[in-house]
Amino acid sequence: MQSKPWRSVFRTALPIKTNLDRSLVMFNSLALHIQPVKVRERAIRFSYTFYLGMISFFLFMVLVVTGILLMLYYQPAIPNAYENMKDLQYVVSSGIFLRNLHRWAAHLMVISVFLHMLRVFFAGAYRPPREFNWVIGVLLLLLTLLLSYTGYLLPYDQLAYWAVTVGSNIVKYVPIIGKNIRFVLLGGNTIGEYTLVRFYVLHCVVLPLFITSLIALHFWRIRKDGGLY
Amino acid sequence: MKLKPNNAADAKENSTKNMTRRQFMGAIGHTASGMAVAGGLVMVYKFLYPNVLLEIPSRFKIASINSLQPGSHVFEPEHRVFAFHDTRGYFFALSAVCTHLGCTVAWKSEGITGHKEGIFLCPCHGSEFTKEGDVIRGPARRHLDRYHMAVDEGQLIVDTSETVNTIEDMILKV
Repeated sequence: MQSKPWRSVFRTALPIKTNLDRSLVMFNSLALHIQPVKVRERAIRFSYTFYLGMISFFLFMVLVVTGILLMLYYQPAIPNAYENMKDLQYVVSSGIFLRNLHRWAAHLMVISVFLHMLRVFFAGAYRPPREFNWVIGVLLLLLTLLLSYTGYLLPYDQLAYWAVTVGSNIVKYVPIIGKNIRFVLLGGNTIGEYTLVRFYVLHCVVLPLFITSLIALHFWRIRKDGGLY
Repeated sequence: MKLKPNNAADAKENSTKNMTRRQFMGAIGHTASGMAVAGGLVMVYKFLYPNVLLEIPSRFKIASINSLQPGSHVFEPEHRVFAFHDTRGYFFALSAVCTHLGCTVAWKSEGITGHKEGIFLCPCHGSEFTKEGDVIRGPARRHLDRYHMAVDEGQLIVDTSETVNTIEDMILKV
């Protein structure tokens, strides 16, 4: 345990005796240092936060894992997309399980993020010094909804097509630049090949990058703003 | 809020009077970086704007004059256009794209009270339009797009890129 390679990875000297040693275990680990060295006991009671933020994050991790696996059988092209989705349901082993897991986790994440927001609101946890973390939280809710929306088109069935038709026409009501935003979003005047690829790239690359960065900032700020409230 | 000491403002005032070499080089550097970023953003926007679209041509034949009998209509699902041959003897063409949020309206020949000749009903949010495309009931606020049909060798031609505003302009008498 005290060998040189071990010590090169885990800096904290063993055995752990003092409170300083205990705090150093947290400080010296990338995974553990997300947790504070000290927490108030009431702050980790279930009834205090209902763990809604952590549940949202857990669901996000489920979505990342299942999403990456689904990507291996999915091509964002017409008519491949719909056929791939059907193959995932009927041909690929555990495909239907992964697809449903992805879908249900997405629905639940929207719910849990929203409930998290309600919890924070009713606890008054948006008040100074946590105002900016509330703003980040609102952006995270927005990104969650955008991820759901872009993912909606990918099965490329009737529901997907018309939902995105309606959604992209809502964008058209933005004053002055609405029609341009819609054109760039769809890559054309109607939903087609370009739209599918654009939504795929948004869903699998662009939005996950944004949401991952903001989640990191959100967690970091919880600590910097004085811990759970 | 307590105001910060006015060093920044003082420095700025000095800089306009007497710019140091460092400030001058800094200004050039920031301007160049800003121009590069702005140029990059313009390029990205242009890149996102496709120059060639793989969409169906806007001009197409919807029906032949002889096959479209008085009192009947045809629907072309690719372009989402209705063409009618009215019992009063004229032709007209309407877009089936609901002006609210873009769903395809359905033709209900049985009509409703006050509009016995038939109506268009949008399945998404319930907008209703008259046979000529005017709004009966929202949420849609604008009439369905109207097209002026042309006749070419006995075929009725519609160009979805050219709309007309009034019912008179839409009507084609042959």
